[in-house]
Amino acid sequence: MAVEDVARAKSGIPLTVIGVAAVPLLFLLSGIAIRYAAFASISPDPNLAAYVRAFCKWDCSWYVGISEQGYESFPIPGHSNVGRWGFFPLYPMLVAAVRTILPFSTIAIATAASLACGYLSCLVAWPLMDRNMRAYVLYCAFLLSGPFSFYFATFLTEPLFVLLTSCLFLALKRSNHLAAGLSCALLSATRVVGVLAVFAIVIRMFEEHRAKGGSFIGFPRWLLGRPDLIIAILISPAGLFAYMLYLYVTVGDGFAFIHVQRAFGRVAGNPLLFLWEGLSYHPGAGWQPTAPQWSALTAIIGLALAAVLAARRQFGAALFCAMALILPLTSNLASIVRYVVGLAPLTMLTAVLLSISKATSVAALIVFLITCYFMTVAWLGGYLALV
Amino acid sequence: MRWSELTESTRPAILAGGYALAGALAAAEIAILALALSPNVNDDYRAYYIDKTTTCLNRDAVGRYTPGRTVSFRSDGAREATTMMVCGWSGPVADGTHSLGESSRLRLALPPLRDRLRATLEMAAVIRPPQTWQRIVVSANGTEVYRGTLSGEVATTVSFVIPHAVLAGKATLDMAIDYPDGIPQSADASNIYNRAIKLRSFRLDTL
Repeated sequence: MAVEDVARAKSGIPLTVIGVAAVPLLFLLSGIAIRYAAFASISPDPNLAAYVRAFCKWDCSWYVGISEQGYESFPIPGHSNVGRWGFFPLYPMLVAAVRTILPFSTIAIATAASLACGYLSCLVAWPLMDRNMRAYVLYCAFLLSGPFSFYFATFLTEPLFVLLTSCLFLALKRSNHLAAGLSCALLSATRVVGVLAVFAIVIRMFEEHRAKGGSFIGFPRWLLGRPDLIIAILISPAGLFAYMLYLYVTVGDGFAFIHVQRAFGRVAGNPLLFLWEGLSYHPGAGWQPTAPQWSALTAIIGLALAAVLAARRQFGAALFCAMALILPLTSNLASIVRYVVGLAPLTMLTAVLLSISKATSVAALIVFLITCYFMTVAWLGGYLALV
Repeated sequence: MRWSELTESTRPAILAGGYALAGALAAAEIAILALALSPNVNDDYRAYYIDKTTTCLNRDAVGRYTPGRTVSFRSDGAREATTMMVCGWSGPVADGTHSLGESSRLRLALPPLRDRLRATLEMAAVIRPPQTWQRIVVSANGTEVYRGTLSGEVATTVSFVIPHAVLAGKATLDMAIDYPDGIPQSADASNIYNRAIKLRSFRLDTL
């Protein structure tokens, strides 16, 4: 405390503030270094431009295409069935806007933007984690230097999605419904499941109503008497509706983002069956789980964490996370690992649970940093479970 | 400013403004939803993406062809064959062009014809025991011209006549091949990935 007092007296900035800003910065830099080491270990030409390009895999190339060329109308040029319509526009738009100012390649700007989003997500998480420094350190390490940190170092929507989700739940924590609604509007323009956060907003409003002694039945009446709350709810899907309008104007189909899934071979089905099939996909030889088994296992862990959130009475976050996992599970297990990692309430909860003791915190931190290297190698090698 | 901090004098005006904004938002969203529920798309888009009544998305591909020549649908004929493929094909590769989905289409521009055409297609069935056959139904410009069964993995030469009536007054020949017995990739895979035949070569002769 004496050291903190001295630091405060000398600089005017509390030591905690410096720590909160420095911890994610440290992990941001260590993450870049570890991932570069992983890249250099498998690349014949480990220069910086190649490093940035190497991480752009799977959906990343779609976002680069949207950022550089926008969306196609119909018929799709090149006699293709697969339009870019399934990929939501906010993040590629932001990158395109920055590209008009800065003279760098799309992927270089997107990589820097993703790292910035990851860093800011950590800062926003600090008050959400009740200023629990041990949990905060683990969360920052997971996001920026952890086994899945490559998702936050390339052109995928997860960095912006995590940042906006964190902003939304911080706004809800501070009972700023309009800010939460605006965050939700941006979320709904980032990924289709972003719009589901509106349920978390409504649940938070209901909790506040009940805390003031309001009855269950009286909630709709109370809500109708508060136009600010109605605006917060109605503005939440604004990003999605804006995109639907755009698709209607350019393609003629406001639901093109759903309909185009046919061209990707996605078929609606029972999530439980997909999970069972994934778990049953045994390896042909050896003991290592297959990609479908990893995916199914991760989805189950994600849903279990959502249940823990509910048990901790974080009903809004629990419902949002559960729905954001179940919706993609109705088509198949593809990308489910990325979707779980991209749900900030789940990763924050994981950090809180792992920080329960000093020993678990240290062990988790070491595991995060080591697995960052190996998972990066797997990502660069195109391992299917990480798609 | 929080809701509870509004004064009695400002509350009615802000209430009215708030409800007006909420009403405008709701109206805009309902209007967009209504537009989205009535898509303004052509029949091909609707059939493939919305109604899912076809796995073959019709496109404006038209290949050039002069009767009397054999076009290879293996890798060596890729340049010419690709221009004729409308949809429902994958490849060409070494053993031919594989069908994809429940039907495939070829379209080619033809010089004016005064008589019938004989079509000769070399193709092999994709089999997965116990299923060792593939039925095919061929239509030319919308009229069924051949119905048959390919058995086993060995390539079969299928030959049939295209009547002049289906060609008269048409600048193109639109040939559709339907596969009632296509093999799905897996139990829950999309039918756009069904496999049925491998087309090796294509030829038309005037009669």
